[in-house]
Amino acid sequence: MIVNELTSSVKGFIKSFGLPRVIIGLFLLLLFVTAPFVGVNVGTSLSDTLNRFGMNAVMVLAMVPMIHSGCGLNFGLPLGIIAGLLGATISLQVNIPGPMSFVLAILFATPFAVVLGWGYGQLLNRVKGGEMMIATYVGFSSVAFMCIMWLLLPFSNPTMVWGYSGRGLRTTISTEGYYLHVLNDFLSIRLTSHLVIPTGMILFFAVLAFIIWAFLHTKTGTAMTAVGSNPVFARASGINVDRVRTLSVIMSTWLGAMGILVYQQSFGFIQLYMGPFYMALPAVSAILIGGASVNKASILNVIVGTFLFQGIVTMTPSVMNSMIHTDMSEVIRIVVSNGMILYALTRKTEAVR
Amino acid sequence: MKLIVNKRFWVRSAAIIVILAFSVFLFFIGRQHTILVDNKSITINETEFQPLQLVEVQINKQPPLELAARDRDKYEATGQKHTVTIMYTDKTWEEHVIVRTFKVPLMQDMLIISIPALVGNPDSEQSVWLENYELPTYAMTAQPAEEHVVTDDFAGLI
Amino acid sequence: MTLQMTKTQKLLRFLANNTVPILFLIICAFGIPLSGYSANYLVSEILVRIVRNSFLIISLLIPILAGMGLNFGMTLGAMAGQIGLIFITDWGIVGIPGMLLAMIISTPISILLGWWCGKILNMARGREMVTSYIIGFFMNGIYQLIVLYGMGVVIPVRSNSLLLPRGYGIRNTVNLIGIRKSLDNLLTIRVFGISIPLVSFLVIAMLCLFILWFKKTKLGQDMRSVGQDMEVARAAGIRVEHTRIISIIISTVFAGYGMILYLQNIGTLNTYNSHMQIGMFSVAALLVGGATVAKANIRNVFLGVILFHLMFIVSPMAGKNLIGQAQLGEYFRVFVSYGVITISLVLYEVRKKRDQAQVGLALASEQEAGA
Repeated sequence: MIVNELTSSVKGFIKSFGLPRVIIGLFLLLLFVTAPFVGVNVGTSLSDTLNRFGMNAVMVLAMVPMIHSGCGLNFGLPLGIIAGLLGATISLQVNIPGPMSFVLAILFATPFAVVLGWGYGQLLNRVKGGEMMIATYVGFSSVAFMCIMWLLLPFSNPTMVWGYSGRGLRTTISTEGYYLHVLNDFLSIRLTSHLVIPTGMILFFAVLAFIIWAFLHTKTGTAMTAVGSNPVFARASGINVDRVRTLSVIMSTWLGAMGILVYQQSFGFIQLYMGPFYMALPAVSAILIGGASVNKASILNVIVGTFLFQGIVTMTPSVMNSMIHTDMSEVIRIVVSNGMILYALTRKTEAVR
Repeated sequence: MKLIVNKRFWVRSAAIIVILAFSVFLFFIGRQHTILVDNKSITINETEFQPLQLVEVQINKQPPLELAARDRDKYEATGQKHTVTIMYTDKTWEEHVIVRTFKVPLMQDMLIISIPALVGNPDSEQSVWLENYELPTYAMTAQPAEEHVVTDDFAGLI
Repeated sequence: MTLQMTKTQKLLRFLANNTVPILFLIICAFGIPLSGYSANYLVSEILVRIVRNSFLIISLLIPILAGMGLNFGMTLGAMAGQIGLIFITDWGIVGIPGMLLAMIISTPISILLGWWCGKILNMARGREMVTSYIIGFFMNGIYQLIVLYGMGVVIPVRSNSLLLPRGYGIRNTVNLIGIRKSLDNLLTIRVFGISIPLVSFLVIAMLCLFILWFKKTKLGQDMRSVGQDMEVARAAGIRVEHTRIISIIISTVFAGYGMILYLQNIGTLNTYNSHMQIGMFSVAALLVGGATVAKANIRNVFLGVILFHLMFIVSPMAGKNLIGQAQLGEYFRVFVSYGVITISLVLYEVRKKRDQAQVGLALASEQEAGA
């Protein structure tokens, strides 16, 4: 009797949570458990995972507004990343070193994000139903377009441009001296010699997450959710569907810009040219791993998903390397992230257009 | 999927068998072997055969190769059955031409023909002068270590 | 009550329906003189590209017929073809027999992958293109698992020259010297100093004939009805899911053969990258030829190959002569390749909405007239 109840409740849990997610969660647990036995320091691993969590969480958060408003998964995240890159490069061009450069980067990125997001939103409004495919290719085209721009735009800061010609930006630019680890080291807590918590970065994410959460509970936010779940009903209630969708796209783009800035200050490099090309896929799969679907997402999905995804990406190389002396991490990352997206795309959804 | 045995089933099975047979046929006619022709002195059953001063070797209809003493050269040959033609001038200034056909085992990549052995026993069976050849392992370690680039999308824009 | 269109309206309609090819014509018209290439060079290069790529692009036609959109899952067929080539290179089979054997090996793999892909696409109704796109990436991971970790360990590989120095996993580039240009060199003629591989063209012509014949068969007609309206097709008794899966299987198998033809022309296999690029380039070329997500024919294939590859060839030189950096031309052609897919997708969706709106308006006016 008790066994029956147990299995049925476990089955129910698996069904509601989704079998792939349970598998991924258990896999990560397994990695953490085996780590000490193969010589991998759990403290360092936890620290690395938290670090990567902070780096990526904001970009995953950027998925939430567009999922809420029914625009699907934001495969066009590179557009927001480009806005962030523009902010970062201009801030470096202005050449005020120290934490101030980070603030400047945010300030410069915001207008770009708003303008690009607005245009992108207008485009998506005209192609309702095929947003995801077009988002992907808008993202790719804009990255390719910016490749041309990075070569031509008149930047002059010597840390940024190629040495010989003095024209054209380098592929990777270091943030050292500017905003390297500006958030990471802010109020960071050192628990042991191996375990460091990058408090500043996590606080930044928490603030943004709180803003989004609060926004979703305002009148406009609930309108956004209504547009996502039932656009006909929303229009009948007098909500301007197109305007709300454009607003969600702008928010998503702006969060993408913020996300890449947070990523850069921790990673230490600004990656131009083809760098942002594939950056949408990890964010998309992270939020899907966290329990979101194509038209439903919450902040909890963001937190859980980013942690699980980054945990796997961090732990697999170190544990597997020590165990079987092979680095299969890249392949596992590809299979896990794309498999998760596939799983989400094949679910039957409530609002199918 | 149930297994229904009817006419369709037999036709399909026959087609698959034909394709399999064809594949095996392709394997046989397409298999390429590297044949080394060797002009070094060689000892078989305590008889030593001397290398010839100058000899011309030709496999099938490919362009002939000239070998001096202690020379070695190679041919790429496709298929299982081949002809080797040897032309040489001996000490009495006579020209000799030896033509032999031989068969190559299917799975063997490289073989070596010893010209002195063949010239010494022109009518012996092929195992006297034809041997399998394995590439010595030291030839393999000369490869540079390389890093594969996994997601380099535009590495080879064609 | 039919609407008579004036000449200008007809011209505008023509321009609107063929925006992408016309745009490309303009780009090429600018690029060719800028690049400074001779006509002879360009013609021979384009001929080579046609021979190389047509088979792959033609394989995209059947899923469009069946309403599955652009089959980015042709990457799966490309992977199957590559695995076939790895095996024949390992076994040392050369020439036409090697190519044929690679095709035979790739076929069951393609069928399996195509069947699996079709099943997943059926589960993602309405989102086929994104799903096929992600399937391509997912299978890339599985392919790497097999080729980078399985070959040499689980799958026996005889020749050490194929393996990485560590002892297992296939190398970055595999030299296909054995089958290089084996089909092309079978029969070539020289016209004005340009060598034309006749047998390859014959093969492509046969594939075109096959497609034309296929469209007239019952299966082809079934696919067309499924593509136009799934529910009507189901009511007519067509097994919709089964037909859709078959269209993907055929496409994947042809993509495998096309990849083998492509690689025998180039002569080198880029083990981990070729198949990923080829999907994007084939789709872009088809769209440049004037195809849409719902309609594509053989004309689009050849027009697309010519225009797309012309742009591709002249861009680096044109960029160098225009701005002074060849790198600019290379980024430009990447941008244009992706841009053309974006524009085509957007135009398709916009046009679809407009047509639906017109149908709605026509319906409304009929009702009013009737009332």
